[in-house]
Amino acid sequence: MAETLSTQSRVEAAFAPLSPDFARDPYPTYKALRDKGGLHYFEDFDIWLASRFEDVSAIVMDKRMVRSLEDIATSEEIAAIQRAGNWHDMPHHSRFVQFSLLDSDGAVHDRLRKQVFKLFTPAMIAKLRDQIQAYVDRLIDSLADRGQIDFVDDLAAHVPGHIIGRLLGVPDEDCPQLRIWSENIVQFFDVDRSDERKRIAETNTTEFYEYLTALKHERERSPKDDLISVLIEAERAGAMSSDEFISTCMLILMAGHGSTIDVLGSGMHALLRFPEQMARLRRDPALIQTAVQEMFRYESPLPFFHRHCIEEVEIGGRNFARGTKFGLLYGAANRDPKQFENADTFDIGRTPNRHLAFGGGVHFCLGNHLARLDMDIIFSTLLRRFPTIELVDEKPEYKRGLSVRGPKRLQIAIKPT
Amino acid sequence: MPRIVFVDAEGKSTEVQAEEGQSVMSAAVQNGIDAIAAECGGSCACGTCHCYIDGAWADRLPSPDYQEQDMLDCVVNPEERSRLSCQITVSDALDGLVVHLPAGQY
Repeated sequence: MAETLSTQSRVEAAFAPLSPDFARDPYPTYKALRDKGGLHYFEDFDIWLASRFEDVSAIVMDKRMVRSLEDIATSEEIAAIQRAGNWHDMPHHSRFVQFSLLDSDGAVHDRLRKQVFKLFTPAMIAKLRDQIQAYVDRLIDSLADRGQIDFVDDLAAHVPGHIIGRLLGVPDEDCPQLRIWSENIVQFFDVDRSDERKRIAETNTTEFYEYLTALKHERERSPKDDLISVLIEAERAGAMSSDEFISTCMLILMAGHGSTIDVLGSGMHALLRFPEQMARLRRDPALIQTAVQEMFRYESPLPFFHRHCIEEVEIGGRNFARGTKFGLLYGAANRDPKQFENADTFDIGRTPNRHLAFGGGVHFCLGNHLARLDMDIIFSTLLRRFPTIELVDEKPEYKRGLSVRGPKRLQIAIKPT
Repeated sequence: MPRIVFVDAEGKSTEVQAEEGQSVMSAAVQNGIDAIAAECGGSCACGTCHCYIDGAWADRLPSPDYQEQDMLDCVVNPEERSRLSCQITVSDALDGLVVHLPAGQY
């Protein structure tokens, strides 16, 4: 396919999503892609990148676009694709991570999503407010006298894993380990899939699997009011297999974990970069819900996902053969001026704000209400308790990669006056 | 073009011109009816395009399928006339459809 491409359809040689420049500021690159129009072929990854809101939105909503290769390739072809992408020889990773609710389609996806969906509805998540608030209060109490903190490591990193872990039924003392497993497994989804990264992903999947198996056995003996007990019942009722049980637990613990930490970091950074917006939120705390949505739009924490088409499709005025792989640049679509007025402006009151940071279509982010509630509570509490919050490091370093977006660290000063 | 009347929680009506074949959700979004959040974009996966169908119109629509029914169990303040607007297709037969909007989707 690459041989027949005009140069206009290829991404520029300057497109270097693993570079420090891209990590510092990916938005000029995204703008250049949008401005060129159409989709662009990225040879390194054998993928067509969509950057305009209209195209990304059309792809995520299209029922002919799927996550799994099952309907478009034979098992031999899938094995060859896995070898080419260095996804092979990962026994636990392929059983529990490469197969999941996220990477299934059609009836399998519907069946798995149905087992967990009702626990993530707005009404169910709202019931967690008091316990999240209590946890955040304790955490902030422990940091309040320090004067200066790393917002990412000292605060943000503790909350999502703790809350998701508790929802699932992981004991509090084990929750810090969830972040380590989660990040070490998720890192392998980026475009850089070296053997070393692969080894880390497989080892961590194995440890995580062994941990979840032990926890499952414990709950089978003495069920509790938690998600793992609900899933045990689902497996007993024949609604999921034992591998699907592990895979679903892992997905729930990983999917919104690192990404919520990342968007907490970039959201805090945005409030500090645009102090008039922080002042506005202090004056009108009721804006927190639109502020959180704007944080997701402005710095989408998972800016890159993919789909395959199960039949020939036309996108952006061009035909694509069955089996073509598409890259969805949510970070680019969410800054598209054709969709968002003053798209590069961080506006905490923006409404409507129909961004794509949670994806769309049948794979729309299951945990979005939980992530939003975590953020609502953390930012509201921090602003209420610290009349002065300042950036210490003016240029925090952001993670490298196409599939993640968030600061590695964020040193801030917090003052009670 | 079929007309749809959206009535918000305060009773304010907005009439929009919809296109045959599009969903009621999509007609709402295109016409700036912000109470229809429709976060998943119309895949019956988020429950944020919840609405209430007015009076006699409710019986003139096909019943919700099992997927929509599952989602309707999860919306805020469900009622007998609750529907997901992404699952209702506009047609000339629905000209004048009156749709009541909830106070919030969360």
